[in-house]
Amino acid sequence: MDFALNSDQITLNSELDKLASKYATSPTEFRGFVLEDKQLNLELEQGGFFEAAEIPELGPVSAAMMVERLARLPYTAEVGLSMLVGPQLNGDWPRPFAVVENGRPGRFVADAATLIILDGDKVGVVSATPDAVEAVDSLFAYPMGRLNKSVVYTPLSEGEAANVRKWLRIALAAEAAGLLQAALDAATEHLTLRKQFGRPLGSFQAIQHRMAECTVLARGVRLLAIKAAWTGDAGDAAVAALHAQESATRVVYDLHQFMGAMGMTLEFPLHLWTYRLKALLPELNGRGGQAQAVAEHCFKESGNKKEHVNV
Amino acid sequence: MEFDWNQEQKEFRATVREFLATHLPDNWENIAHGPGSVAQSDFSRQFCGQLADAGLLVPHWPERWGGRDADAWSAFILAEEMWAAGEPRGGQYMNVNWIGPTLMRFGSEAQQERYITPMAQGQTIWCQGFSEPESGSDLASLRTKAEKQGDQFCINGQKIWTSYAGEAETCFLLARTGAGKNGISIFLVPMDTPGIDVVEIPSLIGEGDIHEVFFENVMVPASAMLGAEGQAWDIVRKALSLERVGIPRFALASRVLHRTVAKLKQLDRFHRGAEDQAARAQAACEAARLFSYEIIDQRQKGITAGPEASVARVATVNAERSVAEFVVEHLPETLAGGDPLLLAHHQRGIVAGIASGAAEIQLNLVATQLLQLPREPR
Repeated sequence: MDFALNSDQITLNSELDKLASKYATSPTEFRGFVLEDKQLNLELEQGGFFEAAEIPELGPVSAAMMVERLARLPYTAEVGLSMLVGPQLNGDWPRPFAVVENGRPGRFVADAATLIILDGDKVGVVSATPDAVEAVDSLFAYPMGRLNKSVVYTPLSEGEAANVRKWLRIALAAEAAGLLQAALDAATEHLTLRKQFGRPLGSFQAIQHRMAECTVLARGVRLLAIKAAWTGDAGDAAVAALHAQESATRVVYDLHQFMGAMGMTLEFPLHLWTYRLKALLPELNGRGGQAQAVAEHCFKESGNKKEHVNV
Repeated sequence: MEFDWNQEQKEFRATVREFLATHLPDNWENIAHGPGSVAQSDFSRQFCGQLADAGLLVPHWPERWGGRDADAWSAFILAEEMWAAGEPRGGQYMNVNWIGPTLMRFGSEAQQERYITPMAQGQTIWCQGFSEPESGSDLASLRTKAEKQGDQFCINGQKIWTSYAGEAETCFLLARTGAGKNGISIFLVPMDTPGIDVVEIPSLIGEGDIHEVFFENVMVPASAMLGAEGQAWDIVRKALSLERVGIPRFALASRVLHRTVAKLKQLDRFHRGAEDQAARAQAACEAARLFSYEIIDQRQKGITAGPEASVARVATVNAERSVAEFVVEHLPETLAGGDPLLLAHHQRGIVAGIASGAAEIQLNLVATQLLQLPREPR
């Protein structure tokens, strides 16, 4: 057990920080839902960040940390699936990736090169063709898209499908961890500056306690996501994704509440993170889906005289 | 980053489990009402002696005091296994975690000779005289007074919520020797000193755990003072940083969760609603576990834990609460003559957010120290 990063991981994080710092603030005139910069995607590609996780000294833990770090940016790009799920697929599938879950609109679907199809219990992977997808306007602060015709896919084997679902959960948790942290940071800044009754809002204990609780949740999601990426365990992945979706429901509500009317505007960029979190909430069958996966993977030994589980 | 245990750690955990399997009696779970109970205190004297003989009571202490300088991880693995087993060390876990180490750091030679060896042999129980009727979270407002009379101190006042007081031989007592935060001193007071009266408080958390302790003209020699006069606040802050993640409550909560699921499966009652709630409790336990490991990792590297320790405490409270709520909703018979270990967990879970600093104080610390939100004006 050691929470310290190795020197390669430290170097990678520092390089990524440098890149990310260029995209750290949203343009002051921005009033939209989707904030993208194709240059970010290009720089990540050119910098070799998408392949970094395949280097043994870095591994999926580094991929999860990169996903978390990039999710904190106001600009969005498809990184979670490329860094954490793509490497798990058999065959050479090009990025960007997107998931179409039971025919619903999904993140990055309109721009994806490869689609992961979740269709009830079945999972498939297909190349995306421009005529099969279309962009959808939405409140979610991701570019959303959907299939406009049915696609033919060969279902993956049960083992492969389970593996894809597992890494989708880890990618979801890592993404959520970054979004939660960025949203908390934005609200913290507001609560420190905004004064009412002659003192900063953040000095009121009624708000401090809720902010502290949100912090405990957000940090928990990060640790669980990173651990799941390290172990590659299906139970850890399900726990991380469940905690991510659970925490998102609570944190999104609280942070908008703390922002008051300012949180309803498109001027303050909180929605860039909170409305992305909303997009993650229903994914992979939502909390109920994760809970079932936790029950399947974490409690399978319960009742079989093995009590010291996961210690 | 490494989320697995190394070979030595795995072997150490296996050794501790083996020890528990061979030394806990068959009816242990009926005895394990809680660390403060008479039965558990009595049992702890025998059990901790055996632990000491096996080198498993204070492995992380220096060799001079009966340890083998084992690292912070060994101490925590030991604590996890003990707490998950229902804490057969009883109140002696406090000696191991922080009273012993505090005496090693701040005690006089005579105090160390007198008190540390019996602790390392597993033969002595201590209690912690901190809270008072008017001083809970606001500990610095305590009123119990120690007045210097020649080369003695005369102690008058009252402590409350004192765990293990009914069984303890010695009290780690905070008393006022002057004004303000820096007017508090620590005294190591034998509990059989004339003028001390202990009254048990009937409670929800089980037998023998909390007490009122009255001090009426209790005379102790000046040599009973730990550290310098007025140094209590400094010493206690350091000591409690060990205690904040001292009890791996998530370990028992996790065990209780899995046992409850097993029982529900046997009863064919592990349906979707139960599944959802159990999964949330599992996530809460695992989050608490990782936060605690993060602190132990820092401790191992010689870093003093900051407000992250408070994050770990809050997460632990969440875990205890999730499991307790899951059990009472889905296996309510636990509270009506059910499995004694599950019952004891339910009784004691309520303590998680209160002992070692209220959860609300931890939230204050997270807000002001970690998030750097402005302090509330006082």
